[in-house]
Amino acid sequence: MTWGPLAEIAVFTALAALGATLLMLPPGLAIAWALARGRFPGRTVLETLVSLPLVIPPVATGLLILWLFGPRGPAGRALAWIGVDVVFTWRAVVVAMAVMGLPLLVRTARAGFEQVARRYEQVAETLGAGPWRVFATITLPLSYRAILAGALLAFSRALGEFGATMVVAGSIPGRTRTLAVGIYSFTETGQDQEAAALLAVSVAIAFCAVLASNRLARTAAVR
Amino acid sequence: MGSILRGPAAFDSARATEAGPHRRDVGGRVRHATANPTPGAGRPVGVGLRALSTVEGSRPWVRVVALFAVLVCVPTVVHGQAGEVVVSAASSLTDVMQQVADAWEARTAQRVALNTGPSNTLARQIAAGAPVDVFLSADEAQMDRVASAIAPGSRVDLLRNQLAIVAPVDRPFTLGSARDLATAPIRRLALGDPAAVPAGVYARRYLEGLGIWRAIEPRVVPMGSVRLALAAVEQGAVDAGIVYVTDIRRAERVRTVLVVPADRGPRIVYPAAALRGGPNPDAARRFLTFLQSPEAAAIFIDEGFLLPRP
Repeated sequence: MTWGPLAEIAVFTALAALGATLLMLPPGLAIAWALARGRFPGRTVLETLVSLPLVIPPVATGLLILWLFGPRGPAGRALAWIGVDVVFTWRAVVVAMAVMGLPLLVRTARAGFEQVARRYEQVAETLGAGPWRVFATITLPLSYRAILAGALLAFSRALGEFGATMVVAGSIPGRTRTLAVGIYSFTETGQDQEAAALLAVSVAIAFCAVLASNRLARTAAVR
Repeated sequence: MGSILRGPAAFDSARATEAGPHRRDVGGRVRHATANPTPGAGRPVGVGLRALSTVEGSRPWVRVVALFAVLVCVPTVVHGQAGEVVVSAASSLTDVMQQVADAWEARTAQRVALNTGPSNTLARQIAAGAPVDVFLSADEAQMDRVASAIAPGSRVDLLRNQLAIVAPVDRPFTLGSARDLATAPIRRLALGDPAAVPAGVYARRYLEGLGIWRAIEPRVVPMGSVRLALAAVEQGAVDAGIVYVTDIRRAERVRTVLVVPADRGPRIVYPAAALRGGPNPDAARRFLTFLQSPEAAAIFIDEGFLLPRP
């Protein structure tokens, strides 16, 4: 057993999960804000759609992503036109992780936005602040803990993503193999030592993430 | 499409049943009722446990859910009922073995529980003690791995097969010879995982024989089974794939670029054997005999398989 490829898998997984979290932050916060504050037609539909990846089988989500981003899918064609290849590349790993983590970010951030008293925002508005300034100077600073907790949850979910990743990115050594997929592949091919090593790495990372998230929740409760 | 869901979905559902939150709930409630009749009073009780007990005390549906969980779990534990023969067969045999099983059921009124998957996974299941009567592997290596579980003298070479290079219908490249694979416009080539999945091992052996494995390896997308490799080609997610000739029959939007003749490619043999740890050893022997009967052979040949050389 050589450690190089295993370390590579761990680093790749962490970077991909980080990339996925950054990728989903802008749309995730926009959706969370719209759900918390907005009154518009189709709100409940949006709410339901965003939660779907939580409840439908990850493999089914993966298949949907594959249809969208595959060479024959609408998004895949558009990206191929500008020369970007998605399926079975690292980009597919990031997309799968982002889609699967998004509901957790949206739900947590939305709860945070809802806890910000409407009055503060209204006061800011009477003082002449536009909606963007209200969001940046009032809503965001008052809810950043919830956003951080949501991002951490989504990041942890992304680290362990298996079903969707397997379908859209496969398990290409040194390219798309993540911790979860690696454990599965090594078990399937009888490389038990490698699987056990990745298992230990997963436990260590998950331990740190949960510890951090609990601390965050505790300090938030004290305030 | 059915095949792409099989591998990982099975993995996820196995994980779900293992986690089984309801069982823990029931345990917590029972322990609580006997050890501490007045929850929350007297000694300090963990917040989580207290929350759990109040939910369960006030919501009778929790009991319904727990009962449902038990009803779902029990049949999966008691598999391999009497009068049933449990058969683990390589992914590439999925369709043909369904037909063979139907023929067997029509003849004996005995049900066949067909468990299909990549042979390496099936071999691991058997090595881990899965109650299987008959194992049909797509290569000899995986059958060798379960050698100690085989009923003595029951192993036979049942079938042969051939490899084929396939591509999505909308990728218009041609190959003058298989060696051109190295220079063809192929960014991704789907194989069964060449580390263990038989179809991938055969494909690697074939490409190594041609001297182009090193050139192609960086473009290989290893898949969990030969049918998943085929599914990747069907979806157009890869530019080409190497599968068995017999896999292509029901494939859609796939064209055969090149068939590797049996005498030019690697020797592809499907061994079959009765297993000692199965729930139904007598039926296992009879089923194995049936697999070698002219009736079964006709089905195998009809689906494009070759019989072993005498």
